[in-house]
Amino acid sequence: MTYGLPMGRKFPKITVDLEKCTVPFLCKKCLQICPEAVFHVTRIMQKEERLKEMDPRVDGNYVLFAARRDKCTVCNLCLDVCPVDAIKIEVPAAERVRPKVSGEQWGR
Amino acid sequence: MCWMCDQFGDQEYGNGIWYLNPRNYARNMYKLRAPGEGFKGAEVGLETGARSGPGFGDILNAVENNDRAEFDRITGIMQERGQGSQIVALEDADRVLELCSPIGLMACICRKNARAIDERNELEYTCMGMGVGMLKWERWPERYKGGVKFVNLEEAKEWNHELDKRGFVHILMLFGAPFIGGFCQCDYPDCGALRNAVDFGIGSLKGHYVAMVDYDKCNGCGICAQRCQWGALKFEVTNEKANIDQFKCYGCGLCQTGCPRGAIYLVERKSVPAVAEVWT
Repeated sequence: MTYGLPMGRKFPKITVDLEKCTVPFLCKKCLQICPEAVFHVTRIMQKEERLKEMDPRVDGNYVLFAARRDKCTVCNLCLDVCPVDAIKIEVPAAERVRPKVSGEQWGR
Repeated sequence: MCWMCDQFGDQEYGNGIWYLNPRNYARNMYKLRAPGEGFKGAEVGLETGARSGPGFGDILNAVENNDRAEFDRITGIMQERGQGSQIVALEDADRVLELCSPIGLMACICRKNARAIDERNELEYTCMGMGVGMLKWERWPERYKGGVKFVNLEEAKEWNHELDKRGFVHILMLFGAPFIGGFCQCDYPDCGALRNAVDFGIGSLKGHYVAMVDYDKCNGCGICAQRCQWGALKFEVTNEKANIDQFKCYGCGLCQTGCPRGAIYLVERKSVPAVAEVWT
């Protein structure tokens, strides 16, 4: 493996209020502005209905979710651009790792 | 040697490289689902099937909990199911197109999901379905919204070269290894396969080549640095040449095809000992 895994890192928790955000495929503002392409839009589909084509203009056919929240930097561009204020981002508690140092010049 | 070549390669064809073995494109590779059975094999990865097992969200949870065993278990399941992909260089991609039939162009599902880009126009299609799976594309109307444009070999190659010029990486998508169901043109960050590969080192096998720079020919124009999707190639300021980190190189060959002076060339991965077994 050439890439170090970010094991143990806490990612921001992103929740989308689906009652406010109803037509993400048409609005697509957050999807296109996110520098890290965190959001995904997908559709709600029952197995029996898989032969049906679904209209993105109908409320609730498509849902927005933060599939790639591992890359979210909490730059809040999506919050600014969202017309219905449906997105909420919880920043994980920052764990500051201070190096242990001994010696007088670092100690105080 | 990559584990796919170990299992599915044939020395008679294509020097033992698995995707050049015509047997892997045979009809009986496509697994059909018995009534009442869960999704598996070829159908995994289509929109409903993707939810039947662990997904990317579970991987993120495992990373957050610092649970390496769970992470390995999930990626193991994905590999067992034959989900995955392989990066190919332009020339090999053309050879793959010669082997499979039928070929249909369609809209990219990753770009649609990640950026809500609707490719309604045949000229905009950036994804290719190949093999017998394409004969039942109508069963998935949402996936193939806008339809499928079936093309012949020449049109497919032309399309492939055109997208190579634009700077897309060529990836063979496995739908139940070794069945190749799709041929994707990907870039970072919209495409799922590249996200998994670059961020977590999972899902994709690196290509069978690595790129090298001919320092005598390179004049430091920097065009190749714009084309690398992997963060492997950078412009080295000190001597004003391109510099490739071969441990990160996926062998997609975009830097090679983009270089106006022919200063970058591909060498076989197995001929470079330190990266010969670096497949993820």
